[in-house]
Amino acid sequence: MSELQHGFDEALVSGYLDGELTQGEAQRVRLHLEDCAECRTMTDELRRLKEATMTTGFRVPDDTRWDEAPRGRGSGFFRNFGWLILLAWVVGMLGYGLWQVAIDTEDLFEVVIVFGFWLGFGLVFLSVLIDRLKTLKTDRYRRVQK
Amino acid sequence: MMPAAMSAELPSLDRALVSLARDGESDAREELARRVGRSAYVFALQLTDQPETAHDIAQDSVLRFFQHLDRFDTRRPIEPWLYQIVRNRVRDLKRRERLRRHESLDGWLEQRRPEAMDTSADPAADAERSDLQKRIWRAVFQLTDSHREIFVLRDYHDFSYREIAELLSIPQGTVMSRLHAARQSLREILVAEGGTSLGGPPGRKGDL
Repeated sequence: MSELQHGFDEALVSGYLDGELTQGEAQRVRLHLEDCAECRTMTDELRRLKEATMTTGFRVPDDTRWDEAPRGRGSGFFRNFGWLILLAWVVGMLGYGLWQVAIDTEDLFEVVIVFGFWLGFGLVFLSVLIDRLKTLKTDRYRRVQK
Repeated sequence: MMPAAMSAELPSLDRALVSLARDGESDAREELARRVGRSAYVFALQLTDQPETAHDIAQDSVLRFFQHLDRFDTRRPIEPWLYQIVRNRVRDLKRRERLRRHESLDGWLEQRRPEAMDTSADPAADAERSDLQKRIWRAVFQLTDSHREIFVLRDYHDFSYREIAELLSIPQGTVMSRLHAARQSLREILVAEGGTSLGGPPGRKGDL
């Protein structure tokens, strides 16, 4: 079936079935269907298809699989604040400890051992942080329309 | 794992529930999480045809939904926003899966089974409808991604053309033509598989 053969855009049949046409367009389709058995058959089949699709039910996972609601605003605030305090404490303690080692120790080997560990740890942490920041920048869900 | 419960109808995502959830009502949050999860699951299942993947996507979508809940404008409908999240996640997964699919296409195809059930009370009509529904959903998974999503959004989730246009970022005229092309493809698949037309009484002028 082509547009030339039928004299109108065949997609209008779908618009007609969905009630999305203007009054004039709907009337045009109705008149065409009065005369065209082929289009009438197509319309009936599409309507049947639509009805069967709409009445389909789907199995969904048991309620227990959705029971855990994500954290609320309040708990999220306390969690973030808690992490901030914890991080500040760790950084402060580490800084203080390293400073003490640096000024109190005369043994170079001891300094290398302590600083070597924390330097390695710091670099690994930095690499993870860089990756996380990059991911955050390119997170496509940031642009999800709300 | 197979789902244990059935739902013939998806629960509505009403705005009052969203408002309560935003105010921190724990019961409302749990109820909203369930409803969002179910709706997201069904849509993801319709786009992927893989129950476990759909469940993962739904859980992820629930998290993202709640992450942005405070900023959501409750005057707007909820489903389009949720389905946009699900759609993005599905597309992301499909992009990554494309390579793997070439490696094990047969195994992937064997897992394709739509989970349709019937809602009619008449046993004869129920059986007939059930058969048609199974055929339809098997055929839906043979459509292209763009045809499948537009068909599912309109003919299952009952989105208006305007809502679909906004969700897919396409003009409304394109919605109608693409939807019609999807329906026609589906009809052709069904006719080709069934060997005949979709059945039912022939069209009469009075039926219009």
